[in-house]
Amino acid sequence: MAEMKFAKSHEWVRPEAGGLATVGISKYAVEALTDLVFMQLPPVGRKVKAGESLGEIESVKAVSDIYAPVSGEIVEVNAALPNQLDTLGSDPYGAGWIVRIKPDDPAEMSGLLDQTAYDALVKS
Amino acid sequence: MTGGVLPVWWDDAADGPTNMAADELLAEEADRRGGPVIRLYSWTEPTVSLGGFQRLVEAESCAAISGLPIVRRPSGGGAIIHGTDLTYAAAVPKSHPWGGTPQTLYDAMHAAMVAVLWDFGFDARLHVPSADDPPADALLCFSRRSPGDVVVRGAGRPARPTDPKVMGSAQRRLGTTVLQHGSLLLATCLGVGGEARHEGLRELAGPPADWTARSLADRWTARVAEAVNIVREVQPATFTCGHLPEVAARASRFRDPRWTGRR
Repeated sequence: MAEMKFAKSHEWVRPEAGGLATVGISKYAVEALTDLVFMQLPPVGRKVKAGESLGEIESVKAVSDIYAPVSGEIVEVNAALPNQLDTLGSDPYGAGWIVRIKPDDPAEMSGLLDQTAYDALVKS
Repeated sequence: MTGGVLPVWWDDAADGPTNMAADELLAEEADRRGGPVIRLYSWTEPTVSLGGFQRLVEAESCAAISGLPIVRRPSGGGAIIHGTDLTYAAAVPKSHPWGGTPQTLYDAMHAAMVAVLWDFGFDARLHVPSADDPPADALLCFSRRSPGDVVVRGAGRPARPTDPKVMGSAQRRLGTTVLQHGSLLLATCLGVGGEARHEGLRELAGPPADWTARSLADRWTARVAEAVNIVREVQPATFTCGHLPEVAARASRFRDPRWTGRR
């Protein structure tokens, strides 16, 4: 499996076969938010720039943006997720994926944090 | 954090879209300054502010608040009826000790208010969840209870797990900053129906009531600053006045029915 990378804003991205990239939010972020109650996904076909909001998630009383870790077009969303928000906590790197993006430039991922660097970030 | 200062702006009353726009800019101000900032304000007319993802239709079908203008906040939480409350917006960079988890900033602001309310003779505390709590998805913020909300035992009454809530807050967590909205209920809002008539400090106080919104807020912001060992600095001009073109431009989004009706 290709290496997962992380944005400082706590989204993960994993290259997939066919040049796509799967995006989700880290276990650390899910645990920090606690008690998720609502999620809004972007429409398929929307173009996003790295660092731009691609969706929003509400935990009890706190609304947070989900930021695109790479630029590209959203080609698929996990439509079941808003009705199964527990999945974000139970399987954040698997069934808790949020969107699939067709990156404009796959090399953009090299600027993100690897697992070791991300672990250090959340421990700091 | 730089400078060791907590800037506090007292703003004039404004309508909902103007207040929401100013608060978004306040979050950017916290980012620029690298430390916490607070804006205190009121409303030109009684207004309902709806949580970021509450259903508009639910608010519109609530007879108790029928006819009041509605603005949607960028922050989460339940609907608040503004008019007899003191509203605040606080913003901190996520790198600040208060910017980590949502509860950290709720607790910081609310614990400071509990201490101030005690100074003025109120039996206030942070709410601890209990089996008696009302439903977490009630439309109105003051009908809900969340861990750390400020609740007050009314003068001459026995303490109960369901003592009235007088302060609640909600957040918008942005890329590098956290914007927290909150409301301290000073008195019951009489212009609304029964289920929306929550008791405020005026109804819960024992005589004499020697406090005002200004005196509470002055002591509160001072205590907030003390909690992180910085100096509160009340600004001479209003925040909105210093950002008029930006506030006006951004307010248009909060006036847009597509924003208000996003859910």
